[in-house]
Amino acid sequence: MLSYRSAGRPWLGMLIGLGLCALTVGHASARTLSTAYGDVEVVDLPERVVTLYEGALDTALAAGVTPLAAVSTRGGDGVASYLQARVEDIAIVGTSREINIESVVAQRPDVILAAPRLPEEQYRLLSRIAPTLVPASEPYQPDTWKEEARFFGQALGRETRIDEVISRVEQRAAVLSEQHSQESASLVRWMPQGALVMSEAIFSNVLLAASGFDVNDGDVVKQGRPHSDPLSLENLARIDSDWLFLATLNEEGEQALASAKSSPAFARLDVVKRDQVVPVDGQLWTSATGPLAAEAILDDIEEALR
Amino acid sequence: MSQGVAHVAGKERLSLPSMFSLLSACLAVVCLFSLLFGAGEIGPLDSLLILLGKLDGTTAQYAEEAVFVVQELRLPRTLIGLVVGMALGVAGALLQAVARNPLAEPGLLGVSAGSAFAVAVALMLGASAATLRVSVAQLGALAGCLCVLAAARMRGVGNDPVRLVLAGAVLSGLLGALTSMILLVDQRTADEIRFWIVGSLAGRRIEDLHAILPSMALGGVVTVLIARPLAALALGERVAVGLGHHPQLVRLLVIGVVAILVGATTAVAGPIAFIGLVVPFAARALAGPDIRRTLWLCLPLGPLVVISADIVSRLVVQPSELPLGVLTALIGAPVLILVVRSQRLPTL
Repeated sequence: MLSYRSAGRPWLGMLIGLGLCALTVGHASARTLSTAYGDVEVVDLPERVVTLYEGALDTALAAGVTPLAAVSTRGGDGVASYLQARVEDIAIVGTSREINIESVVAQRPDVILAAPRLPEEQYRLLSRIAPTLVPASEPYQPDTWKEEARFFGQALGRETRIDEVISRVEQRAAVLSEQHSQESASLVRWMPQGALVMSEAIFSNVLLAASGFDVNDGDVVKQGRPHSDPLSLENLARIDSDWLFLATLNEEGEQALASAKSSPAFARLDVVKRDQVVPVDGQLWTSATGPLAAEAILDDIEEALR
Repeated sequence: MSQGVAHVAGKERLSLPSMFSLLSACLAVVCLFSLLFGAGEIGPLDSLLILLGKLDGTTAQYAEEAVFVVQELRLPRTLIGLVVGMALGVAGALLQAVARNPLAEPGLLGVSAGSAFAVAVALMLGASAATLRVSVAQLGALAGCLCVLAAARMRGVGNDPVRLVLAGAVLSGLLGALTSMILLVDQRTADEIRFWIVGSLAGRRIEDLHAILPSMALGGVVTVLIARPLAALALGERVAVGLGHHPQLVRLLVIGVVAILVGATTAVAGPIAFIGLVVPFAARALAGPDIRRTLWLCLPLGPLVVISADIVSRLVVQPSELPLGVLTALIGAPVLILVVRSQRLPTL
């Protein structure tokens, strides 16, 4: 069966698996998942996994599966830095915007875990290489990341493990929210001409909300622009919350904070005067999703509250 | 000669001094508007009261906020817009005159491409758009210009303005390709540079303006010195030599001035498209082809376009702002078309 699989014909493996399934009831070797592009069958406990989505890579690692290949993080050449130590020699098969199909083929995957809303054209190509799983989750909802994590956990045959991880995150957030009174918080990226305000609906803001913060996006982020929107310097007071999380895409967090402070409009915010500005890793806070990212973000929040 | 032009022009146009004062008056009004309107909650009426020192009947906090917005946010960008507009207008006029081509644009000299490349390299080496210093872009602009100058000094090329522009265009293309390569290879740089590459007056500090004032002053002085020889050059190489000028030297000086002016504006405000092309065009349509007259009108016209565009950029997408570079093109294009359609244009 292994040799068939490595020959790139997973359906044969699946057929044999189904036969085995008929003989030994209860131990299914193939399972059917309902995805954004209909029902897809995958082998149970796939070994050769390729992730084309940061949330899928994160979930796989949380489930104890090390994918063969992944896409690079937003604004980086490799995987996000919070995951780097876990997957030092992982192959990079493109960016989230542009996938190198040939490199994916070269990995001979059993299963491809893709991003929600993968374009149909790409789906058709990828699903000829291996069963491609696209989560049907509705984007930018408070529970989106959990839904996606459970979906990928199911795809890898490790749903119980993922459920455990998710409830651990929920418990930690609940503990954190009891540690402080309900405070407001904003998440922004700084640029010289103003702030880029992150929507309430993005992953890290969902976690902030779960940890007892009122997330304040200053009513800037419009409907249909779910990620972020720029804010004029004249309106910075709108994000003058109790806490300000300042995301940077490189590791010079303190330096970015210093340069933001050199702008008088930023320096006069109350939150800056109170020294409640927390520089955070933008790869983690504005691009990543998944249980491990959740843990890392909660680490940051815990550190800030200490 | 220039008197002749003025005489002919006088029959159908206003005289140069009255046109200059009219445009300056418009500019003054636009500058006032620039202090009054913004993307924030401080409305024009309250801003006016602050300017008159008579804002009362509000909370102390609101008054403090309002004073800050007008003095620390709107005033610097208005002043920077003023300087940037003048520099771009003058640079465009100079370059078009020396290249004898109304389509010559400061961007063509490799100046904008040089600073964009320098910024991309700085970002790749680890700077971030928020920490970037004005000097990086200015150094890049000067380096780009020196390359063009080197090409222009090659034997035979210096006497032909078309080849000069060609050398600039080639260098621009080359630097543009190198920049694109960096952006393709380095995702982070690509993500950061979008904050810089469109050009904006927002969030610039008055200290940034101080940093470029020496360059501006130098550019201004040299411009005054070369205006007359440049006008002579427009009559032809031989006439200019006959009048005792050195065409080669004049051309080199003009390129140097353009590089300094455009480099300084790019450094402080990012690449702002279209101003260097549109403003001299409009100025020439109003004042005729004599560079000495055109330059005078470029002084109020450049800031007029830049600051108007900046005001609009604050108002269209409140509470955010549009990048200025987008709007200069949106405003400049119809103005240019109007000018082109309404008059017979003087040739160079």
